[in-house]
This record gives sequence, C-alpha cells and structure tokens, in this order.
Amino acid sequence: MMGSTSRTSLDTSSSDGFAPDCERGLCARHNAGCRCRSDETPSLRAQSQHNFAQPSVMHIDLNSCFATVEQQARPRLRGRPVAIINRRTEHTMIITASYEAKARGVKLGMSVKEARKLCPDLVWLESDPAKYKYVYHQLMRIMGDYSAHIRMKSIDEGVIDFGEATSTTQARDIVEIGHEIKQRLRDEVGCAMRCNVGISTNRFLAKTAAGLHKPDGLDVITQDNVREVFAGLDLEDITGIARRNRARLEAVDIMTPLEFLDASEETLRRIVFKSIDGTKWHQRLRGWEVDKVDHPLRSAGRQYVLEQYKLPPDAVLQRLHHLCEEVGWKVRSQGLVARGVRVHARSYDHAGRGWRGSYWHKRIMMPTPFFSNQAIYEIARQLFVDAPYPLKEIGVTCYELSEPDDSQLYLWGDELARERAVTSAVDDINQRYGTRTIVSANTVQTNAFLHAKIPFGSTRYM
Amino acid sequence: MNDEQFLNEQVDVVAVFRPGRTMCEPVRFRRANGREVTVTEIGLRHPTTQGKRMVHMFDVTDGEADYRLEFDAERLVWKLVMEAEHDG
Repeated sequence: MMGSTSRTSLDTSSSDGFAPDCERGLCARHNAGCRCRSDETPSLRAQSQHNFAQPSVMHIDLNSCFATVEQQARPRLRGRPVAIINRRTEHTMIITASYEAKARGVKLGMSVKEARKLCPDLVWLESDPAKYKYVYHQLMRIMGDYSAHIRMKSIDEGVIDFGEATSTTQARDIVEIGHEIKQRLRDEVGCAMRCNVGISTNRFLAKTAAGLHKPDGLDVITQDNVREVFAGLDLEDITGIARRNRARLEAVDIMTPLEFLDASEETLRRIVFKSIDGTKWHQRLRGWEVDKVDHPLRSAGRQYVLEQYKLPPDAVLQRLHHLCEEVGWKVRSQGLVARGVRVHARSYDHAGRGWRGSYWHKRIMMPTPFFSNQAIYEIARQLFVDAPYPLKEIGVTCYELSEPDDSQLYLWGDELARERAVTSAVDDINQRYGTRTIVSANTVQTNAFLHAKIPFGSTRYM
Repeated sequence: MNDEQFLNEQVDVVAVFRPGRTMCEPVRFRRANGREVTVTEIGLRHPTTQGKRMVHMFDVTDGEADYRLEFDAERLVWKLVMEAEHDG
C-alpha cells in the first residue's frame, strides 16, 4: 500500500460541488461518486505527493491492431497465426503479428523467412491501410461519444479525458464505460475486435494499465494499487524507459519501477535526467498529468527500402523524386512550408556490417521557405550527389516547417505566385481524382513500387 | 503462406440494404464462370475512395474461401477483386 506517501492539505473549496478534501484522498465519497478531478492545477507542493483524485483518463489500445483487423475481415484467419508485412518478399520485416503468431515466437521486426522457421503455417498478408484507417475512424467515433476531449496517439490507440466530459458522463462509473466501449467495438466494427483499456489519473499510468493484461484487458491504476502494479514490472516495461534511460537510472542504483517511484524529485532532476524531465517523471509516476501537450509538426518525411540490389543512380533518383512528391504533399496538406531538406541513405556495406549496411545523411537549410515538389526534389537531388552507392534504403525529410509568411515581398514574387498556383492546381486535381493522378513524368514508372504505407506514430494525415 | 488472388471480375450480386453493422449485406453473388457463392459471414465493410469516387469494400466468406467484393457507389457496379483460400 501507500506507505511512503504523506497526504497534504490543499485549499479546495466545496462551493463548486467538489468535496473539500477530495484531492487529498480523504474524501469519504472519494471512490463513490465524488467529482474530484485530476486535471485541476495543483500546487507544486501537492504535486510532490501522489494524486489521489478519481481516475478520469482512459487509454484504449487495439490489440495487435492490423492483424486483428485482418482476422475480423477474413473469418477463416481467426485463431490462426497471421503476420502483416509491407511488401511481398521473404526478407521484409513483420510489422504486426496476431496473438496466435506471437505465442509461437513470432516477433515484430522479424523477417518473414525467420518467422516461417518458427511457425511454418504462418499466413502473411500485405498491409491494407484503407482498412485500418476505417477501424481507426470507427474507434475515434465511439470514443467521441463519451467526451469531446479525445486524443488519438497513433493509428491504434487513443486517450479519452473524462475530466472535461459532460456531467452526465462524469456521473457514470468509468470502468462501466470501459466495458461498454469494448462491447461497442465488437458490435459496431466486428466480433473479433478486441482492445485493451487502461484507466488512471494521467495518460502515463492509463497507458501502463492498458498494457497489463493483453489481449482484451481492462485495468485501473490508482495511487492505492500503483505499488502493487509496479512490483510486477521491469524498468523497461515503463513507457519512455528504454536502454539509455534504464542505464541512467541504474547508475544511481534505481533498479526497479518501485525504486523509481520512491526516488526523490531532486535525485531524478539533478542526477538521473539532469533536466526538468526528472521533475516530470516524478509527477508522472505519482499520477499527475504532465503529458497533455500538443506538439506542432516539426518535420515530415518518407523513406523507402529499394526493391532491387544495386539499382543504378538514375533509378534511385526517380524513387527519391517520388518520395519528394509525397513529402511535399504532406507538408502542404498541413498548410505549411519548409526551410530545410535532409536526405539519408543506407548503403550495402562489404566491411562486415552485414545487411544493415552503413548510414549516410546530409542536410541543408535554405534562406527562403519552399513548398513545391520540384523545389524539394531539386535540393534533395543536389544533396544526393555524394550518396555512397550501391544503396539499400533512401529517405527524405523536410524540416523547419512553418506557416507561410505572405507579408514578405520578394523580388521574384510573380514566379513564386505562379509556382504556388500550379502546385495548388495539381494538388486539387490529385485530391479530386485520386492521389498521383498528376505527377512528374520522371516518377510515372515508380507507382508500381512505392505504395501508400501506414502512418505510424502520427495521425495527422489520416 | 499467402494465396490471395487479385481479380477484377464484374459479378451479379444479391444484396440487402438494412440498418446494422454493415448497412448493406451482399448475400449471394454469381461469378463470370456461372458459379454461385452464398455469403455466410461479412467480416468487414469499409469505405474507401478512388479519387472523389466512393467505393465500399466487403470482405466476405462462404466458409470455404475468403472474398473481397467492391461496390462502386457512383456507378453501382459490383466487382470481385480478391479471392483467398487459407486452409493451412
């Protein structure tokens, strides 16, 4: 139990209907309908303590999303090991595996060839982004029925903040809502759909709760059971703690999540993370919300693993041009312009690094912003002159994105206006008649190789 | 193993339009070779666009094979676009 926590007093008024002591966890109605909320701004002193507010954040995570959606779409695949890949070759990596495949040792990132050694009857399917997008929108619609404050973290997970939901929704039991959402997913998308639901006072603990019992679990983490939950976890089970952060923690003898939880704010801030991140971790672990932040789009990019060994430079540049067209569309679709271009490549390496090859990159910042496919490609092509052929993988990223500043007058304003009008017209046509209806003549042939892929991590382009 | 066969075959379809999970339910279709397939379960129906044109994709099964039907909501044409037999 919560032996290490002392409960502090706060100046909370009961005039708004909230119990006066609820933030302290002393409220008699605390677990029986008290409307205390976790998103109220507590004082710094209070944040050094644990957040005993009623859980109001729900994290929903679709289990093995793409494989589950395929099993929903094709009933004959249910109960069978399924892997989703991005390209129909034996050397491609698995991006999602069904629970049946995972039980047989198939892991994400494994090649199909390796996976088939472990699981000879593995069914592998090429990803179908349109199908996953539909399920994403269905999940978002269901979540939106409970609160206007939802945030999709990626194509297969999202967060509902009940702190700002209607009073009718807030009056309901949040666990009951969790079960209802699971049932609605089965009724409205399909009977094979399963999701994990995690509930807590902040996004971090809600996500941790969602990962406790896969598949199809529903867990609640409060400050009353957080020690019990953490006792069963490893440091790297905590979202945001991977190899490097683990090494930082272990350097000060923090070997378990419980020791992490018990570490002082000063230790985390001054010794472990050496920044404000330490303070944030201290608050995050105690159930305070520090992750409710919208990050602006800083860069947009696309990469491609070449379909053939030793493609000639002309063919590689064609594919680079295709990537520039997609990146250009990503930037413009957000109403932005770019100032920097970065290209990268992975080359075949014969010096013993195996298939991973060696990594090369180059970037340049331009004095004025640009937005057209042609401008991006021209810059990328010049950067690519030094690329170490033969190549295995290429990529291009636009960075320093910003809103266009039309107040600045340019000497060649007419040319800029013409470029903007042509680009805008092409974008309109592509939107109306389908992506890549009008493309550069240089990239007409690359349509056969470069297909639309799943936008992991960001849902901006959904 | 992957035994998906991608097709572009216009088919005759008997469908029921009614409220529910998929709203439109293809119940039977006849292929170009005359073979009739009776749908036993609709796995998923998802809309997608071809340009501005809306098409609905139906992943269905007759218990022996999986099929994907495409319904062009503008031209009112049904096509069989995929057949797969996953029998292990």
